[in-house]
Amino acid sequence: MEYIGLITGFILVILGIWGFLTQKNILKMIIGFTISDTGINVIIVSISYLKNRTAPILNRPDLLTDTVNKITDPVPQALVLTAIVIGVGVTALMLSYALRLYQEKNTLDINNFKDLKW
Amino acid sequence: MVNPIHIVSISLGVAFFLGFLRKANHNLTSTIMLLAFAANAFISAQWLWAFIYSNTEPFYIFTAGFRPPYSISLLMGRNEAIFTFLINIAGLLSGIFMLKTYLRHGVYAMMAFLGLILGLNIIILTRDLFNFFVFMEVSSIATAGMIILIKNVKSVSAGFKYIVASSLISILLLLGIVFIYYFGGSLNIDDMITNHLLVSKGAEVAVFLVLMSILLELKPFPANGWALDVYEGSLPGIGALLSATSATAVYFVLNKLLAFANPYWYNVVAVVGMISFIGSNLLGIKQKNAQRLLGYSSVGQIGLLLVILGFSNTLGEKFEYIAFGVLISHYLAKSGLFWLAGIVKQDNIKNWAALQKKPIFLFFMGVFLFTLAGFPPFPSFFAKWQLIMELSTAGMYAWVIGILFGSFLEAVYLFRWFGYAMKGEHNDLPMFELPWHKILPVVIGVLSVFGISYISKDWLPGGTSLNFIPLYFIAFMYLIDFAPAKVKNTIVILVITYYSWLVIPNYYNTDIIRLIFSSIFLIGAILTLIPGYLKKGSRKGFYPAALLMFSGLIGLVESTNIYQFFFSWELMTIGSYLLIIRGKYSMPHAFKYLLFSVGGAYFMLMGFGMAHAGQASLSFDILRTGVPYSSIIFLLIAIGFMTKLASLGFHIWLPGAYGESEADVAPMVSSILINAGVFGFIILMTHIPDANIGYFNIPYMLGWIGVISALVGNIMASLQEDARKLVAYSSIGVMGYVLFGMAMMSHLGWLTAITYTINHFLFKGLLFLAIGGVILRTKTFNMYEMGGLIKKMPWSFIAVLIGIITLAGIPPLSGYAGKWLFYNAIVLKGWYIQGAFIMFAGIIAFLYCFRLIYAIFLGQLKDEHRNIKEASVWFIIPQYIIIITIMLFSAFPQYVLNPIGNWLSQYFPNNALVWNGSLATSSLGYWNAFNIMMIVMGMFVVLLLFLLLVNRGSKKVGQFDIVYAAERPERPETTHMAYNLYAHYNKAIGFLITPWITKSWDNISEWVNTIANHTRKIYNGNGQAYALHILIYIVIAYLIINGGLF
Amino acid sequence: MGVFTKIPYVLLGLFILINYGLLVTGIFRRISARIGKRIGMPVYQPWINLVKLYAKRSSVYHGIMFYLGPVFRLGGGVGIFLFMPLIFGSEYFSNFSFAGDLILIMYFMFFGMLGMALGAGEGGHPYSAIGISRGLAQFTAIELPLTFAIIAIAIQYQTLSLTEIVAAQQGGITHWVLFTNPFATAAGMLSFLGAMGASPFNVVRAPQEIPIGPPVEFNSGFLAVLRTNAALLHIVEAILWMNLFFGGATNWIELFIKSFCVYFFALFVGTVFPRFRVDQSIRWYLKVPLILGILAILYIKFI
Repeated sequence: MEYIGLITGFILVILGIWGFLTQKNILKMIIGFTISDTGINVIIVSISYLKNRTAPILNRPDLLTDTVNKITDPVPQALVLTAIVIGVGVTALMLSYALRLYQEKNTLDINNFKDLKW
Repeated sequence: MVNPIHIVSISLGVAFFLGFLRKANHNLTSTIMLLAFAANAFISAQWLWAFIYSNTEPFYIFTAGFRPPYSISLLMGRNEAIFTFLINIAGLLSGIFMLKTYLRHGVYAMMAFLGLILGLNIIILTRDLFNFFVFMEVSSIATAGMIILIKNVKSVSAGFKYIVASSLISILLLLGIVFIYYFGGSLNIDDMITNHLLVSKGAEVAVFLVLMSILLELKPFPANGWALDVYEGSLPGIGALLSATSATAVYFVLNKLLAFANPYWYNVVAVVGMISFIGSNLLGIKQKNAQRLLGYSSVGQIGLLLVILGFSNTLGEKFEYIAFGVLISHYLAKSGLFWLAGIVKQDNIKNWAALQKKPIFLFFMGVFLFTLAGFPPFPSFFAKWQLIMELSTAGMYAWVIGILFGSFLEAVYLFRWFGYAMKGEHNDLPMFELPWHKILPVVIGVLSVFGISYISKDWLPGGTSLNFIPLYFIAFMYLIDFAPAKVKNTIVILVITYYSWLVIPNYYNTDIIRLIFSSIFLIGAILTLIPGYLKKGSRKGFYPAALLMFSGLIGLVESTNIYQFFFSWELMTIGSYLLIIRGKYSMPHAFKYLLFSVGGAYFMLMGFGMAHAGQASLSFDILRTGVPYSSIIFLLIAIGFMTKLASLGFHIWLPGAYGESEADVAPMVSSILINAGVFGFIILMTHIPDANIGYFNIPYMLGWIGVISALVGNIMASLQEDARKLVAYSSIGVMGYVLFGMAMMSHLGWLTAITYTINHFLFKGLLFLAIGGVILRTKTFNMYEMGGLIKKMPWSFIAVLIGIITLAGIPPLSGYAGKWLFYNAIVLKGWYIQGAFIMFAGIIAFLYCFRLIYAIFLGQLKDEHRNIKEASVWFIIPQYIIIITIMLFSAFPQYVLNPIGNWLSQYFPNNALVWNGSLATSSLGYWNAFNIMMIVMGMFVVLLLFLLLVNRGSKKVGQFDIVYAAERPERPETTHMAYNLYAHYNKAIGFLITPWITKSWDNISEWVNTIANHTRKIYNGNGQAYALHILIYIVIAYLIINGGLF
Repeated sequence: MGVFTKIPYVLLGLFILINYGLLVTGIFRRISARIGKRIGMPVYQPWINLVKLYAKRSSVYHGIMFYLGPVFRLGGGVGIFLFMPLIFGSEYFSNFSFAGDLILIMYFMFFGMLGMALGAGEGGHPYSAIGISRGLAQFTAIELPLTFAIIAIAIQYQTLSLTEIVAAQQGGITHWVLFTNPFATAAGMLSFLGAMGASPFNVVRAPQEIPIGPPVEFNSGFLAVLRTNAALLHIVEAILWMNLFFGGATNWIELFIKSFCVYFFALFVGTVFPRFRVDQSIRWYLKVPLILGILAILYIKFI
């Protein structure tokens, strides 16, 4: 069970990418992206998990001694915060693009935006 | 020194601060932004200075009070200083260029821009993987924001495709980074390198994901549709930024991260780069949209940089020089061209003809294009030379071929574009605006190109041996380009005269061959420049081009090693291309000329590379029989020279290029430039006298090519209606003789070839000058539209008469010397069949000689020419100087041929020709030029007196007073029998000149175009398809890499 | 012997050959008339014509090149004569052959051709131009087998000096090139047909189509000079072929007989065969005669 987070994360990533690549509706594509982004975040958190350890929050006195062997890896948890923020930023940007695209052509079908090619 | 962390703090601080100034005057805010870039650039420059001049130690910046790996660290080293400097300067210049845009869009656009440059700075400086990811994302988001600074459906959809692609890549990148941390336990790059943390199998997959993501950020073909759309759809200023800064920064990161990867990754990078370089340049061929074209070119150049990076271990200490040379060329030229695109505002490359309204911009464009294509004196030339030499030394010829092939494809579309800009129809095109803030960056770019060129040649081994003095003079001539043509002509003639006086006497008594060729190149230059006095106005651009060509030519003669030789060869190519394209309808012909020249030069370069391999020296001595592959080297270099000699197979550019060029350019190129190939052959063949591939003797094959060139060239010349084309085709024929003579590899063969070269220089110059002078008066090139001009232009007539007598080899003029030597050489060499055919070709020359003089000067004078004047005196003067030379050479050939014979004796020891006064004796026959001259002249005078006596009182009659069935002829047009004069000859042996060579070249170009056109259909415009390409690319790469290919 | 003491002998030889040429022309006309079942003109008619033309008082010209054309033409004929050794072994009649060899003679033929072409060209008559274009085109093809033959001879005797070629053929009829290299002789003699401009290769002057072609505008004194040249040139060409293939001549009698025979080879072929068009004659020369030429070289090289 210790890998469940990892597996779930991967499943989410793959599902998300699948949606990202197959959905023709731009909003659905964005949702696909956020799913896989979430998946990545889950993966990041899950790799910091070490069996029989606790969160890296020094709220109990016994954690103050031999801390390194008692807590999970704090670095990924720090990273994931940044990753989430970036994911939000990208999602917001995508959504604003979706709005712009809709304003241009009154459609959200990605197939209708092939003005540039070759 | 200012701490590099302030690059970050200034950018961030200014970006935040700008947020408070939303309502403020945009002039103020944009000035603040530019100051921020300037400050950043100053910081980088300061560090760069310190690293170069005071050998400062690399400087680590630790954040958050911890040492890595527990904190993020930044590193400012020499390379970081260079790259951040480039980024910040590009930011500054781009900011200036897009000033209007920022003024319109306000602080948000400026903040995005600051974010982009900040992100790129940090990914260069950082030593932390996750930090890299974060700022990669920052710059991506900023880029996506900036793409829609121009709002239309194109830019918005391009921007969306960009986000789709970059977010997919970032997912993979993040995944990779996380797992690197998982397996390696660190995010610090130095930590990973020093402690070899990434050795497990799992870590390898993680490294794969990271490196592939970075490679994909570099837009490798074919997973790069999104990038091309962005280049096309966004503002040109953004294109410049993407191409000059983002790619540069990511390239640096790749170099940084490869340090912790498995060494096979270098091979992966090289392969990815090569596919990208060739593929992208191939597709560029079909491209009509300027910005997209630049996009293809960018991708190609990055591909080349990847190849260089992939071979960084092979290239050793030269790696930095080579990579920097290509990178800086790409950086400056690409941003410069994007900026130009922003100035011209024309999508279609054909409409860049608008640049002709401001010719200085054509000059800028030319500088950038020649920089991209790797011509001297620009840094990419030196880099490419070193690259080829080093790869050859390592024996990687397949890669050399790939690089040269890709470069050739790039030259195809770059110079087609340049041709449109130089010669396209521009009257209907609107004038473009020229705000100062757009001009300034372009000018700085051009100046930087020259500055870097000047610096970079000194860094190169042997670079200081290059003769840059002519280039300074050319630059001076360009600066005074506004002056009247007559003034410039005088200056140029005086300078060339002075230069001749410096150079030519050195070779007297020491090196007869260089004496002859330097005389041909320099004195020929003076002679052909004299007609320039005819030009009114300032004749913009002519003198720099002509001087480039002549300095290249004389550089060939003065060169003592292959490096100087190739440098001069390329200079000559640029100059002659710029000269040829000046003709009114020259654009397609000059394009063909350039392609053949570039292709030939690449063959040559490959040959030089093979010769240089394994030999430290660059001197001509490395070309010699006995070195490995000497025969292949010979063949490759010979192909290079044959393109210049227009030997059959490589001749299709010549008639148009020579025929359509300006009246005084035609003699320059046809009688002077063409000899560069002969000189090259002399150098080549004296060093590698014996070249065989299997049972094939290469000179033997060259001999046959010479024969066929002579035959086809002469037959074609006979069937032309256009006087200039006739003379141009005749050059193919004569150069066929020369090639044949050289290929004989015998004393007399070479003597013949050199005699022909001298003669060809004289009579072709004479003919083209005379014809040019006549055509300027008649305003038509078609010979059948002239006629009877002997009465109006007797001086030109005499010149043409002397010219064709020399050409046809009729005694007593010097052309006969060539024929006589030829017979002897053929019989002694034993090439009887070829020899007979080449003599046959010589007789065919009579057909066009007669046609030329008859159709123009004899026959019936046309009504519209009744008041025509003699050709301009500026054309006549050089003609008569040449005629005097011909006469002297005809009467006293021994003073030239005897020293040549002595020189030849060191290569072909048999003393084949003995001179006794003016009597030359070979083992077969004899020839006394002076006696023949005297006998013929004496006889002629006697007979003339006899006729005068017999016909005293003979009356001159009018034009139409001819025996015409007791009637008068109808009109001069119908009586002048000149159109299709040799119809019967065409009927009899026209099948010999079926243009299957032209057709096969056409077919090749058709195939290339078709392939390019079909391949580029993968860029179907769908953002999802592009994302899919990325995924497929990764999967295939994974299968190949882990399938054990590397 | 000095150059200047040679001049009287050269002039003497010139005088003999011009008269001999006129005589042969007369005989030629007579014989071809007889073949056509006509009586023909008197043998001395060429002299009469020449005298008449030289004596004409009215004469017109079209320009300087037109005026110089006949000078060039006669210069071509005389030039070949000057560089041609006539009598083998005779220093008196070796002319100025010290100045150049066989190649000089070959290329001096063009001197006259070109001059004539230019002179006729200035005349402005379309028939002149047609004739010249035909002549030049045909000449390229005629020269090709001859070039092969000459190269074959040069291989055989390792010389291009006409005197030495003749010297090498001395010592009996079997030493002639005719027997030592029959292919070269065959190729050379087929070229000779064209060089003489006799039927079937006389479309250049084709009297019925383009009244005598190139010289159509030339009159009185000009025509006289051309006629003089024709008489001289044809016989000198016959002597050249004689020297090349038939052992040359050691005295005047031998020269007369041999050159007569060579000359009449062209006549007999001409009276039998009708005229070729130019494209036909060019293609004809590029077939059998060309193959013979190549065979001549192969023969001498490998057999």
